Amino acid sequence: MSAKFDLNDDSLVVIVGSGAGGGTMANELAQKGVKCVVLEAGKTLSLDDIENDEWAMFSKISWLDKRFSAGGWHGAVNHPGLPAWIVKGLGGSTVHWAGVSIRFQEHEFKMKTTNGEVVGANVIDWPITLAELEPYYDKAELKMGTTGDVTGMPHLPWSADFKVLAEGARRIGYTKMIAGPMSINSVDRDGRPACQQIGFCMQGCKLGAKWSTLYTELPKAVETGNCEIRTNCMVLTIEHDKSGKVTGVVYADADGKQQRQKARVVCVAGNSIESPRLLLNSASNMFPDGLANSSGQVGRNYMTHMTAGVYAVMPGEVHMNRGTAVAGIVRDEAHNDPKRGFVAGYTIEKLALGLGFLSAFLVPGPTGWGRKVSGALEKYKYMSGVWICGEDLPQEQNRIALHPTEKDQYGLPAPVVYKTDHPNDTNMRIHAYQQMEKIYNSLGSTEIYNLPAYPASHNMGTNRMSEKPRDGVLNKWGQSHDIKNLFVSDGSQFSSSGSPNPTLTIVALTIRQAEYLAEEMKRGNV
Amino acid sequence: MYNPLLQIGGSALACPDVTRRRLLKSMMFVTAALALPALPPDAVAAPLSADQKTTLFRLARDIYPHEGFLDDTPYQAVVDAIIVEAEGSPAVADLLSKGLADLEERSQRIYKTNYTAIPKPEEREGVLRSIELTDFFQKIKGGLLMGLYNNKELWPKFGYDGSSWETGGFIDKGFDKIDWF
Repeated sequence: MSAKFDLNDDSLVVIVGSGAGGGTMANELAQKGVKCVVLEAGKTLSLDDIENDEWAMFSKISWLDKRFSAGGWHGAVNHPGLPAWIVKGLGGSTVHWAGVSIRFQEHEFKMKTTNGEVVGANVIDWPITLAELEPYYDKAELKMGTTGDVTGMPHLPWSADFKVLAEGARRIGYTKMIAGPMSINSVDRDGRPACQQIGFCMQGCKLGAKWSTLYTELPKAVETGNCEIRTNCMVLTIEHDKSGKVTGVVYADADGKQQRQKARVVCVAGNSIESPRLLLNSASNMFPDGLANSSGQVGRNYMTHMTAGVYAVMPGEVHMNRGTAVAGIVRDEAHNDPKRGFVAGYTIEKLALGLGFLSAFLVPGPTGWGRKVSGALEKYKYMSGVWICGEDLPQEQNRIALHPTEKDQYGLPAPVVYKTDHPNDTNMRIHAYQQMEKIYNSLGSTEIYNLPAYPASHNMGTNRMSEKPRDGVLNKWGQSHDIKNLFVSDGSQFSSSGSPNPTLTIVALTIRQAEYLAEEMKRGNV
Repeated sequence: MYNPLLQIGGSALACPDVTRRRLLKSMMFVTAALALPALPPDAVAAPLSADQKTTLFRLARDIYPHEGFLDDTPYQAVVDAIIVEAEGSPAVADLLSKGLADLEERSQRIYKTNYTAIPKPEEREGVLRSIELTDFFQKIKGGLLMGLYNNKELWPKFGYDGSSWETGGFIDKGFDKIDWF
């Protein structure tokens, strides 16, 4: 049923990327009868490719093209070639995500109004509100199969590991411990089975119980006959005409040959490093600073979430690997209360690591060795741990830039990813470490390991939406302020990071964007 | 297996907010790189002596010590693989012999004895900390990280289960059982 479109067909929507944004956009448009082509840089994947093996899957699905970590974060030293931990393959990072599906809180759409100017940060309100996005959150949850009230699907059962965290949280007075909302089937639904607690969610769900565009949106889009997916096709530049409208893209196909696909509309959904990089690499005489960049904000305000890990040795066995990777969350610190020493909030997310990843991340980088590390790993089955996910303030100098000399395998300037904590991030991380120490001490654990940020899987903000064109790249529909038929459909749209994991919000924004785009095409406005 | 998490050094990229610590580390990487001139392709690598092999093995046990928990076998396997690699690669052989010479020089200077004869584990760790950012040390560390902790044969010892989908996951195997609080 797959459509096959001509390279000179200029009636198409070209979608760059097949993850939460691109994959959802493809299906939403295809269901509405809009013809589209998905260009995915990575290879085709299927459930057969998925193994319960951390390092094997890391090698198989990660985006490992040449990239540089820079700025003041520890990864510039410890992860110099891996600023981000995202996927290159069909389904994008929805293969890797853990399934946590929290909605933004109302105030998280208006951080400027809520907290005023924050020195050293570049904070703006979103041009949309929670009320405007709520109907699309409902649609996103129904699409993804998110546990909770909208689907009526119960949350997943509490694993032993989550019970440990929840008991510690209870002992220090927390009350918001919940094993959801997760976009992981707790019962058979939408042709996909219920979770069997096999673990390895972030290596790709072997059962397909976790939502991923790989086996939901993408095949459904193809089935309509309105969508063609081309894998191993890396988009190199977006082209435009004399009026400034985009006319198509140039990409390297599976054989490395350059192809030019014409388009009526281009939707960029390559994640928050590749999307701005593509706009910057598309600079022309008319747009010398890159496409859609009259504001100078393309690539800037890069946010990853304020993150940290905490792992502790418990007095009894835990076996954290038995069950979903993120078995539950604690939301008692998710509110905005500057009295804690920082604005915005964070979520405590249970996160199981296998022995392979724990050995690499307990003390990351070249100095992570010795008795302290090996001694802790001997107690693997007694260990429990969390990932802290908090709001990261936008800063202009945190950005994606093009390397002046280094090129990737396609001959394009490699991306340099600058990231330095704002003092607000630092204060929030210290607070989270202190709270986790209280939680683990309450359970009788005194052997606690504070981990710095991992290479980021949550990447946001580098093509942000803004009310005023001078503050950002996109309007409230994710449409370029400068170029009407150019859209961005991924997390780089985010005006601020919020504290929730980004996928649900990307999907909600995309459903809304697809509705708008289809209407605008019908009206002849784009 | 290509693994950027295990790479060190990379390109010491100039950026405005580089910290002093980072700069120092970058310089150390440069120093390490300068200490290893490229060898002509036909250079014959001198095989490691028995003493050097013993030192390499001691070093491996000291990087991730597991006395009374893991026996010598997995350490020896990692060391043997690196020795085999050195036999086919003059660059690796040179990395090993120069790294070992540097280690012995430091041991002699500080403790007046060979590395393997330094009695206290924490003293040996101290010597290793002084070379931990070298390519030599990181090569051994990288091999051990995979050989000890990504080694399916050893996982049961650590209480790690590994792959579970083939046997139906943990849903009916007590994934929710906890009894100590």
